[in-house]
Amino acid sequence: MLVLGALWAIFAERLPGGDRGSAWVGAGLALAAGVVAWIEPATRRGPFDGLLAFDGPARFARIAVALLAAVWLLWTAGRGEGRLREGVALSLFSVVGCMFMAEARELVTLLLSFELATLPAYVLIGYRRNDVRGLEGAIKYFLLSMLTTLVMLYGFSFLYGLTGSTRYASMDLRAAGMLGIVGLLMALVGMFAKLSAAPFHYWAPDAYSGSTPWAVAFVSTVPKVAGAVAIVRFVSALAPGIPAVGSVIAIVAFASMVLGNLAALTQTDLRRLMAYSGVAHSGYLLIGVAALSTAGYAAAVLYSVAYAIPSMAIMLVAAEEGPLVADFGGMGQRRTASSWGVVVLLLSLIGVPPMIGFFGKFGLIVAGQQRGLTILVITAVAMSVVSAGYYLRVVRGMFFGETPAGARELKRNAPAAIAFGLAVLATVVLGVALGPVSAAIGTFIR
Amino acid sequence: MLTLIVFLPLVGAIVCALLPKDRPEWPRWVAAAFSAVDLALVCWVVYRFVPGAGRQFAEVVPWVPQFHITYSVAVDGLSLPMLVLSALLTFLAVIASWKIDKKPAFYFSMLLLLQVGMNGVFLALDFVLFYAFWELVLVPMYFLIAQWGGARREYAAMKFFLYTLFGSVFMLVGIATLYLKTNTFDMVKLSVLGGLLPADLQWWLFLLFFLGFAVKVPIWPLHTWLPDAHVEAPTAASAILAGVLLKMGIYGFLRVSLPILPHAFHQWQWFLAVLAMISIVYGAAVAFAQTDLKKLVAYSSVSHMGFAMLGIAAGTAIGINGAIAVAFSHGLIAGMMFLMVGQVYDRAHTREISQLSGLAGQMPVIAGLLTFASIASVGMPGLSGFVGEFLSLLGAWVSALPHWIVIVSALGVLLGAAYLLWMIQRVVLGQPSYIIADCPDATVREVFVVAPLVILIIAIGLDWSLLLQFTDPVARVLAKVVGG
Repeated sequence: MLVLGALWAIFAERLPGGDRGSAWVGAGLALAAGVVAWIEPATRRGPFDGLLAFDGPARFARIAVALLAAVWLLWTAGRGEGRLREGVALSLFSVVGCMFMAEARELVTLLLSFELATLPAYVLIGYRRNDVRGLEGAIKYFLLSMLTTLVMLYGFSFLYGLTGSTRYASMDLRAAGMLGIVGLLMALVGMFAKLSAAPFHYWAPDAYSGSTPWAVAFVSTVPKVAGAVAIVRFVSALAPGIPAVGSVIAIVAFASMVLGNLAALTQTDLRRLMAYSGVAHSGYLLIGVAALSTAGYAAAVLYSVAYAIPSMAIMLVAAEEGPLVADFGGMGQRRTASSWGVVVLLLSLIGVPPMIGFFGKFGLIVAGQQRGLTILVITAVAMSVVSAGYYLRVVRGMFFGETPAGARELKRNAPAAIAFGLAVLATVVLGVALGPVSAAIGTFIR
Repeated sequence: MLTLIVFLPLVGAIVCALLPKDRPEWPRWVAAAFSAVDLALVCWVVYRFVPGAGRQFAEVVPWVPQFHITYSVAVDGLSLPMLVLSALLTFLAVIASWKIDKKPAFYFSMLLLLQVGMNGVFLALDFVLFYAFWELVLVPMYFLIAQWGGARREYAAMKFFLYTLFGSVFMLVGIATLYLKTNTFDMVKLSVLGGLLPADLQWWLFLLFFLGFAVKVPIWPLHTWLPDAHVEAPTAASAILAGVLLKMGIYGFLRVSLPILPHAFHQWQWFLAVLAMISIVYGAAVAFAQTDLKKLVAYSSVSHMGFAMLGIAAGTAIGINGAIAVAFSHGLIAGMMFLMVGQVYDRAHTREISQLSGLAGQMPVIAGLLTFASIASVGMPGLSGFVGEFLSLLGAWVSALPHWIVIVSALGVLLGAAYLLWMIQRVVLGQPSYIIADCPDATVREVFVVAPLVILIIAIGLDWSLLLQFTDPVARVLAKVVGG
């Protein structure tokens, strides 16, 4: 696994076969990594003396991250423009980081993998060097991310000081009292920021709208899956000592759902719209975490994937059509099949069955209700209706809007079409085949 | 068998969508063929169905074993009439839309997709499956209204989608809560287990499901999406909307709220009855004031659905029979009304009552059929509309509900007669207005479209047992559960 990961990056940088060639190789290797991760069974005890966990959720996250990256790289191989090889290398480094992040069960490892996962992301956001807004976005992302990471680090130091260990397994906060709560909360700040959960979401809209949809497709999805698994692993290991954490997460979840959805309503830039809806989806996801139950944790992990697939695919379409909602105008006429694909993806994000988004959300609702988080649950479903408002705006534009003046004529492109088709298929198939999927997540080991 | 009935239209929808674009006349034939076969299958089920023998044709396959979700469909005396409505009206809607020339492939695949959802809702016995079909209905209807509707179609489509989604997400919370308390999504098991839940929990659950179903029925004050959607929707979609979609709400109450939450039903009974009464009178009164023919029919739907709700609120076997009968016959009559209004509109290009007059002189067949539908809608004895309204009122009279509710509701019948006859007087009688001069009368196809509805309306009106033999056993069981 890890060797493979390292290999990708080297390959991607050295390959002479041109930019798209490197993307092809990257896609192939990411796919291979996904397959390897699939074949490899989850074990109780991970390598490196238990620093990493190879449990069900880690396996699930590895598969998901690798396959998402493969889809993204496949699209890049087909439609990428300009200098790509750094982008490919960066994304692959980030994927390796994401995998570690999902597996880490020790504070230092978590921090390192965090950085490995997000440092390439900063560069991807500011990928177009000449674009001032891209740089602005990248710097905002970088500074805020650094700040929250440092707060997290400070929190880690509290936790280490209190328990004398950096391993989840031997950390026990039951006797830590107030200080433990403070440490835990500070540590959580970093993770909330990664998930762009309110009130640590300010970087996301600016960073995304300054960047290309292509980069957003990666940055807004793959690290989020890993981030979700990381926060769940962290909380599931440490929260039993401090139940109050649950209510903090619940507040963050509530704020994210309300703020994200209401802010997304008025956006005209699809990147900002997806950024805010990403905030909202993190809010839904955090319901599962706030439930502090096995069912909730599994639901949160499932939801991170349920969010990531359609989000990535829609941003890839935006990379083809243009970053504004208006750019999708008249797409139903020009690209009927793709438009229907987008409809399926958007419905999945709203939470309409039988797509994966519905089952993700349903799992969260069940988990939340189980733990009496009725207010959160009601907020979540009411906000889903609000989200239908802005997602349908995109649908309306596609089918009943006018093609914007000066729209580019797109050539047919097989790899990009396959990448998109796979994503659409996955949202439906994962939903219908929920049984095996949720069995694959399994439970977290401490 | 039932699975085939549900998913056959899906195949048809996909075929329609894939047909070559330069052959605009193919999709309608494909759609007609698929919906005709589906209707034939439904007829076969009706033929083989044994009244009073409970659920039949059951098919159960595990779906998500970890969460006890199964793929489970079956038909009983409650779902059978609804299934017939769904299959019949879809077929007629396809025939009625023969002249659609704007993106026919898209249009007919949406109609067939709609049928998948409707059939599924009426047959599903697993809550997750039920919800999946319930939501599936929204998508094609959204597109039907937004793509082929009238001037304010996009607004109306959006309102329809958001309103009904708003209702159904609360139902979803209810489903989740029920699952947590009973560990099953099986609606049959739940009809036993649900009754054992504590009364206050049942009350809350009833509220959640009420929001889902009441929006769909729709009950005053949750009805405001309906006039917009109806007026803007194309003719065939209006017919299906009134004929089948509204029945999903009635069906939901009878399938879910009553059997699963019987204690809560008693607490809510009064409230339901009062809302039903308001719906009846309010719908009729507002219909009076309408100048648009289609809007008038839309508000009359609110009024008629009020009668169905009154029958449900009664909780007696007679009342529940009445509710199903109202639902079924309103499906026929409202479907026919909308088809007739559509035919008038196709010719006159207006639905303003003040501009239409003297239809009888210019196009006697259309005028006759419109009059027939209106009289059936009034509740004329001998036609199917009477059966349901009579039984609903009777059921409510013998129930624990106070008599004044029933009396006020019965006034709704008078109001209904008044606004419909007044409409007939203004539209059908009198001198033909210049707008309908030179308009041709109904074609053979147009008569054929409403003929099955006319036959059923008369047949059920003359021989009540045609319908009641199916519904009565279910109604008795339900009434026993809620102790009516």
